[in-house]
This record gives sequence, C-alpha cells and structure tokens, in this order.
Amino acid sequence: MDFQLSPEDAAFRDEVRSWLGDHRDQIEATRALDWEAGGEAFERYRDWERELHKAGLAGAAWPVEYGGRGASLVQQAILTDEYVRADAPARINRLGLGLLGPTLMVHGTQAQRERHLARILNCDEIWCQGFSEPNAGSDLAALRTRALRDGDEFVINGQKIWTSLGRFGDWIFTLVRTDPDAPRHGGISFVLIDMHSPGVEVRPLVQINGDARFAEVFFTDVRVPAGNVVGEVNGGWKVAMTALGFERGTGLGSPAAFNRMLEATVDITRREPRNGGVAADDPDVRRRVAQAYIDTRLFELSTQRTLTRLGKGQTLGPEASLTKLWWSEMEARIAELAIDVLGPRGELLPGSRDAEGEWFNEYLYARAAMIYAGTSEIQKNILAQRVLGLPRE
Amino acid sequence: MDFDFSDEQYLLRDALRNLLARECTPQHVRAMWDDPTGRSPQRWRRLAEMGVLGLCLPESAGAFGGDEVDMVLLLEEAGRHVLPEPLLEHAALAAPVLARAGSSAQQSQWLPRLAAGDAIATVGLSAQRYVPDAGTADVVVLEAGGDLHLLTPDRLTLEPVRSVDGARRLFRVTAETGPETLLPGGREALPWLTDHAAAGTAAVLVGIAAALLDRTLDYVKVREQFGKRIGAFQAVQHKLAETWVLLEMARGAVYYAAYALANALPDAGVAVSVAKAAAGDAQHRANQEALQLHGGIGFTWEHDLHLWLKRGKALEPAYGDADHHRRRIADHIYATAG
Repeated sequence: MDFQLSPEDAAFRDEVRSWLGDHRDQIEATRALDWEAGGEAFERYRDWERELHKAGLAGAAWPVEYGGRGASLVQQAILTDEYVRADAPARINRLGLGLLGPTLMVHGTQAQRERHLARILNCDEIWCQGFSEPNAGSDLAALRTRALRDGDEFVINGQKIWTSLGRFGDWIFTLVRTDPDAPRHGGISFVLIDMHSPGVEVRPLVQINGDARFAEVFFTDVRVPAGNVVGEVNGGWKVAMTALGFERGTGLGSPAAFNRMLEATVDITRREPRNGGVAADDPDVRRRVAQAYIDTRLFELSTQRTLTRLGKGQTLGPEASLTKLWWSEMEARIAELAIDVLGPRGELLPGSRDAEGEWFNEYLYARAAMIYAGTSEIQKNILAQRVLGLPRE
Repeated sequence: MDFDFSDEQYLLRDALRNLLARECTPQHVRAMWDDPTGRSPQRWRRLAEMGVLGLCLPESAGAFGGDEVDMVLLLEEAGRHVLPEPLLEHAALAAPVLARAGSSAQQSQWLPRLAAGDAIATVGLSAQRYVPDAGTADVVVLEAGGDLHLLTPDRLTLEPVRSVDGARRLFRVTAETGPETLLPGGREALPWLTDHAAAGTAAVLVGIAAALLDRTLDYVKVREQFGKRIGAFQAVQHKLAETWVLLEMARGAVYYAAYALANALPDAGVAVSVAKAAAGDAQHRANQEALQLHGGIGFTWEHDLHLWLKRGKALEPAYGDADHHRRRIADHIYATAG
C-alpha cells in the first residue's frame, strides 16, 4: 500500500499543473463565456479543446496509436484533479472523448477508428449519445427506433431524447432496432449517424430549470451506410454496455469536483447568519458538514481503490455502479446542505438580488444525475444481482 | 499509487481466516459465553504460533516488526469470526503502546512475553469506563489522569459487569497507580492510543458487518415466501445493495486510516474519524438489515445471528460513536483557515 505518486506520475502532475497555470488567461476568458449560447462562445470552447489536444491532454488516456499519449488511469485521474482545481472550462466533447472513442477502440473497425478518432481528438466532430427514448428509459432494451436494411444502407426512423449537446452535435452514436423479431436485447445495433444527414431534426428540450442542455432528436428516413454499424448487426447491446461502463465508471464524477463543492459549502456556513451567530456554530450544521466530508473522502478513496485495481489489469465490472450511485446521491446531499444553510436565500434565482451562487441549479443537476446513466434504482439492481448474486425474478 | 495489500498481507489474512474458520466457529464462541473466563488458552496459543500477537512489535522483541497496514486485515477477520480473545487490545494497542511509551525495563520485562503470547495484555481508556479482558490479562495499560500506567493484577481491584454479548468480558477497575507504574511516554502516547483504538475497532466493525451481510445473503438466497426466494424481491435487493455500498466504502476508509497511522501522516487523526464513523454506520445498517431480513428465525436464541448482532451493537459506540467522530471531523474542518 503506497499513496505516494511515482516519479513519472509526479512529473506528469507538475507538467499538467504548470501547463494549466500558463493558460490561466485563456481559461478565464473561455469560462466567462456560456457555450450553450452557441455561435462564437461555442467556438472558443472548441479552441480550448484544440489547445488541450496540442498539449496531448485532450485524450491523454488514449493509446499512442490512436493519437493519445497513453497516460495511465492514475495519470488521467491526476489530470482531472488538476483540471478541476484550475477551474478550467467544461469539456464540450466529453461524450466523444470519454465514451465513443474508447468504445471504438474496443469494438470499432479499422475504418471507423481512422475516420473518427483523430477528428474527435481535434474537436472537429462533436458527439452526442442517442440511447434513451420516450418509452425506453430505465428499460433501455424497449427502444423502438427502427433501422431497415436497404442495400448498403440502413434507413432510420424514430426518436431519441435527453440528448446532451444535441444542438451542437455533428455525430450521434445510437442504439436502433435492426431486428424487431429477435429477443429484446438481440435485435439492437449500435449505429453512428451523421447529424447533418437529411431527415435528422433536433429540437431543444427546455428542462426543469429553464436551461436547454438537452435535446430531442428525430430521425425520418435517415439513410446511414451499413459501415456505420459498430460491432455486429444485432450485437449492439454488448457495445452499448461497454460504452455505459465507461460512463458509469471513470467517465463521470471526479473527486476533486465534489471536494470543491464541499469547500464552497463550508465557506457559506462560515458566513451565513444563524441563531445570532453563523451557521458554522450550529451543531446540526456541523454534523451535516462532517457527514458530507466523510462522503467525499469515501468517494475519493473508493476511486483510488478502483484505479489500483484497473492498474493491475482488472476490468471495471458491475462494481462501477457503486461509484455512480455514490457520487450522484452525494452531490444532491451537498447541494441540499448549501441550500438549507442559505435559508431564505436558498430559493433565489441565480442573478437575482441577494442570490448566492447556483446552488439550486446544482441541486437540480444532481437530481438529474440520479436519473441519467442508469437511475439509482437500476444501479442497485445491478449491484444486487451481479455483485451480490441475488436471483432475478 | 497502490491502494491494495501485498500478497504476503493477504496470505497472513487467509491463514488467520482458515484458523478461525476451524477454531472460532459459532459453536466455539457460544462455548465461551458459558465459560467462566470466556477465553480459550488453546486458541490464544494458536494465535501466538501464527505470530499475530506480536505483529506490531519490533523485531528486537523477537516479533514480526509489522505495522497497522499488516494488522488491519487481521482485525477485520477477528470481527468476521466474533473472536472472543483480545486481539485488538493486546496486539494492536497494549503491546505497541508499551513499545512506544514504556521504559526500557518495562519493555524488556513484557515485550518478549507479549510477542510470544505467554502474557496477555489489555487496555483501559477512561472514556470506555469498563476494561475488556481485565480478568484474564497479566498486564493492563490503564489511562489515569491523562497518563498511562502499566498495572499487574496485584494492583487492580476488579468488579465484573455483564455484557449482552456473553463473549465480552468487561470489568470495573480500581487501580493502585504510582510513579513506578507510569509509562514514561504515556502522556504523549495517549492520542496515539486513542486513535489506534478507534481505527482498530473500525476494522473489527467492518468484519462484523461483512459477516452479517454474507450470512443474510446466504439466507435470502434460500428462504422462500410467496413461492419464490425472498432475495428476488426488489425491496430486499435494494436494502442489501445499499448495505454493501456502505460496507465497501467503509473498507476503503478503514484501510486508508491504517496506512495514515502507519506512516504518521498529518491527516491520520481525521482519517481515523472518517473510518470509525463510516464503519460504525455500515455496521449499523448491516445489523439492522440482517435481523430484519432473517425475520423471526433471527430473533431466536438458537440461531447464531445474534453473536454478530450483539458484538456489532456493543462495538458501535466503542472509542467514540459515529457522532463523536463527526464532531471531531467538524472541529478539524473549522479549525482550518477558511
């Protein structure tokens, strides 16, 4: 057992830290913009991705043969940690870099890799994920978007929903039904669709807080080359599980982000008046702050145990559900704590007079995280059945 | 970074697990409930032969020269098998604190015997009120007035109290202390001892919680109601999944606390509190679900479940309950400049 960084990892950390320090101006200028406004703002975020790529930091963990630098998982975690500490910009191509790219490395053809991987790294292609449908949420295998074979092409009809970055996407990786007569999981294929194709329509989906981070994507007779199927035709479920494994495991939820969130909450408790003093004097508040600290430490340690296992060549199995379940529920609890400490100010809209930060938004997005990428209930089913060996009904 | 144990550490864990699986079965533990001393000299001898009683003592005492990371998996096994004998108090607390704070005369008198298991040691911290195993111990490290004293039975007056866990043997202790019983480095070592007691208990609690969860999983996989195994019901599955999550998370905290203590890291104190709070809460949940999911059978004296239920509840508050450690964490957070 040894928590010291190896000399190589320490050197990597120093390199990343100084690179981020050297780019402080660009970081601040980019962060001042709202990429969701689109147009020039979005392009500045694309510039930032390209700057990262030039330094070998966009797809740091990708193997060298695919244009990455072959950083270890520990180094990837170091990078994320430093990135969060530097308060660097949101990653607009995280679905391409974190999900589709690694999935193509496992299941893609040589042609698919050559076509897409370099363009993902350089942020020439923004990727979206097209799994969920209005009637296929937790029960993903109930999806109904159809793909009919027509010569060398598939013709796609149907609808996807909750598509992050939908308005900006160039490509979308989808699950579609290629054999309606096969058993549910058996008739599904994993298909890459050019969102600029005729018949693709994107409609922003205004969500609970008024933002439109998600979209609905409609497909009407969209023609896709058969070569865009990843893995076997009708073998898409396996490919999707690979992608979801990346999403639940290492792709989301960095310890540093939650540590920052907790620090910000602690700062509020030091300032916010309560009972003639400040909230930090209240034993009940202190108890909740301590529990939040415990939760963040447990998450960080759990991440480090997972990294060690992966570093020894073990694969990330259903235990990945532990990580996703933990951080999403923890995030909601910390945001709730901040809102409670703010008391009467907790309900104020960001930007309103007297408002403090974006805590209510953070709370709502944490609630979204308890639903997307497998709800908390689905994660518990996975743990019960696949880790604890309890019988399926 | 390597957050895992070495092959040797796992081998020693497996050796202890195999020994206890043979010689510390529920039948053996129940026999201790009815035994006047509550302790098995034979089993103590086997632990000594394995080398675990002197694990954390220096090689100069004829011992293994191990540290907290070597010890933590063994304490987890002690919990898993509800070991009656004082592995924690003797091997992880009294012996190493003596090596740390005792005079050279005290050390040369006791350490070789403690390492060999020829003498039994235990500890009494003021906040605990009762001293476990004082009736069978040859020497007691006792906190008094902020100091630590090393006391033999002739200087102790013992009044037994009875625990719901019949294998726990607790005593009210009155001691004749004097300058000659003082551990010279005791006052300085007291925070060390307090932290090690909490961290070691956290490891034992993780083992108890793991056993409670495993036994409950075994049960719900065979018990049938409404024509199916109750482990197929989602309400049951989610309780057990949540329990497993708390347990796995607590494990990481307990292992890290051992590492932080072994390396005397600046965050060792807060790491111990995280470990004890998390282990206590995980055990609490495992305890609750184990009895609930066993249903009526778990409520009988005849069923073995209560051996773990009672040990777990007894140790939950030991060396600071989860709220105590949360207070300590909060004090740490707010003592740091904002």
